[in-house]
Amino acid sequence: MSALRMFLVQTKMNFVWYFQRDGELIFWTLAMPVFFLVLFSFAFSSGPNSGSSGFLVPGIIGAQVLSSGFWGVGVMLATFREKHLLRRVYLTPMPPWVFFASLVAYRMTLLAAQAVILIAVGGLVFHVHVIGRPWEILAVLLLGTATFVSLGTIVGALARTTESANNIASVLTVPLAFLSDAYIPIDRFPHAVSSALRLLPSTQFIDTFRDVSIYGAPLSHYGAWLGMLALWTIAGTVISARTFRWL
Amino acid sequence: MEQAIVVEALVKRYGSLAAVDGISFAVPSGTIFGLLGRNGAGKTTTLECCIGLGKPTAGSIRVLGLDPTRSAGLAALRPRIGVQLQATSLPEKANAGEVLELYAAYYGIAPRGAEMAERVGLDGKLDREIAQMSGGEQQRLALALALQHDPDVLFLDEPSAGMDAFGRRIMWAEVERLREAGKTIVLTTHYIEEAERLCDRICVLQRGRIVADAPPADLVAQYGGDATVSIAADRFAPDTALQALGAWTQTEQCWKLATHGEPGLALAAIVTHANAIGAKVDSLDMHRPTLEDAFVALTGETLLESAQ
Repeated sequence: MSALRMFLVQTKMNFVWYFQRDGELIFWTLAMPVFFLVLFSFAFSSGPNSGSSGFLVPGIIGAQVLSSGFWGVGVMLATFREKHLLRRVYLTPMPPWVFFASLVAYRMTLLAAQAVILIAVGGLVFHVHVIGRPWEILAVLLLGTATFVSLGTIVGALARTTESANNIASVLTVPLAFLSDAYIPIDRFPHAVSSALRLLPSTQFIDTFRDVSIYGAPLSHYGAWLGMLALWTIAGTVISARTFRWL
Repeated sequence: MEQAIVVEALVKRYGSLAAVDGISFAVPSGTIFGLLGRNGAGKTTTLECCIGLGKPTAGSIRVLGLDPTRSAGLAALRPRIGVQLQATSLPEKANAGEVLELYAAYYGIAPRGAEMAERVGLDGKLDREIAQMSGGEQQRLALALALQHDPDVLFLDEPSAGMDAFGRRIMWAEVERLREAGKTIVLTTHYIEEAERLCDRICVLQRGRIVADAPPADLVAQYGGDATVSIAADRFAPDTALQALGAWTQTEQCWKLATHGEPGLALAAIVTHANAIGAKVDSLDMHRPTLEDAFVALTGETLLESAQ
């Protein structure tokens, strides 16, 4: 009971402190992805209805999942440590899992909001239609978020300062978004390269998410990739738990 | 008396530097224990080892019979201790009421925001964001967070640092209230006045070692030196009765008595004698030994230099 209350209050405060009162963050999380969608849709295609927006909507949502893990969780944790917030929390009886669960809940809710906005803009402006089964789409989104939050936590565990966490997060997020079928189709690369890139968890997640949501492919076709993502999640969680420092 | 805290042969090294170099002390339940020393004397390191924030290089620590250096001991201890750290560390966009609400949830108690705000002099300021609060207000909120769950043992690291006179008065009153409620308190300070006023026992630290550990009055009696009375008066000289009070020295214009006895009585006797022999008194000065004198005698240093 008390753990549930801790979780609920902590999650509420995450929203109020780190989102609602932070105008810059509201802009970056809600407006920037839409800006990217509009910009890339015109940059990479001959106009609306060319099909590239259908590629981009799930791609940008996927890229947001990556950045949510590496920036949103990884850098945030390093900042918390540097500002001695983690130290103070470490002194209280709150179990660590409550702290991380509320961070994940906060990030997942923001991602869901981003996804809804991108799908709405994609549908209204670029006639992108989501034809997949809602629960399958949600399942892939949740698994992908779990994967990249757990990998992002490793960044937060290993980085000594906010600055180094920032650097690690940019080195991971920006190239990965371009190499993982998020913004540009990796089939444009030589076959050997695109096959290698399909071994990345980011590519497997984004491709699965796109195929299930936009092309209506059944989730069962992606069992191997979903299994890989689950393994990454477990590995990320275990490594984070072993290396995370509160002090 | 039951010991709330027992520290034995504690050593904490950072590389080749021994921040704490083999210290032992015990704090009986219901008493206030002060760690007094300059910056870098090892006060904060000692306190942090007691609350699980630092892992000792050697030695043992028991708080309420539990070992804070082991995770099981620390887990059992956390709900029973309250901590105010030196650097307040709360989310900038949070307001005081929300932080108290969250910490109430951490400890599984009903939020006591209004009550705590009143106790630490933040009434009417619960909706103020941390970033808008002064350093002293943040310190008082940190004190409220340490107190809200009514812990048995409190650890206050430089509780009055950055506080103005108002904040310090509130903090002192709160510590005195906690003493009456039977709480055990460990506080670090480099304010002599604070140590003297609040602490039942003071442990003087210098470069990671204990140089003295006793009630403040005992420290003063043992190390503070003699009380002195100085008198400058025409044709004055102590008679045999006055000479029996202590050691007299004469400088150009003044006679100075150093005494173990009560300086107020010596002062009265001196003035009576001066009047009796018709000596006109130009100046009189009495100095009772203070904790500061004891500190200087013990460490060969003043505390003042360290207090910015």
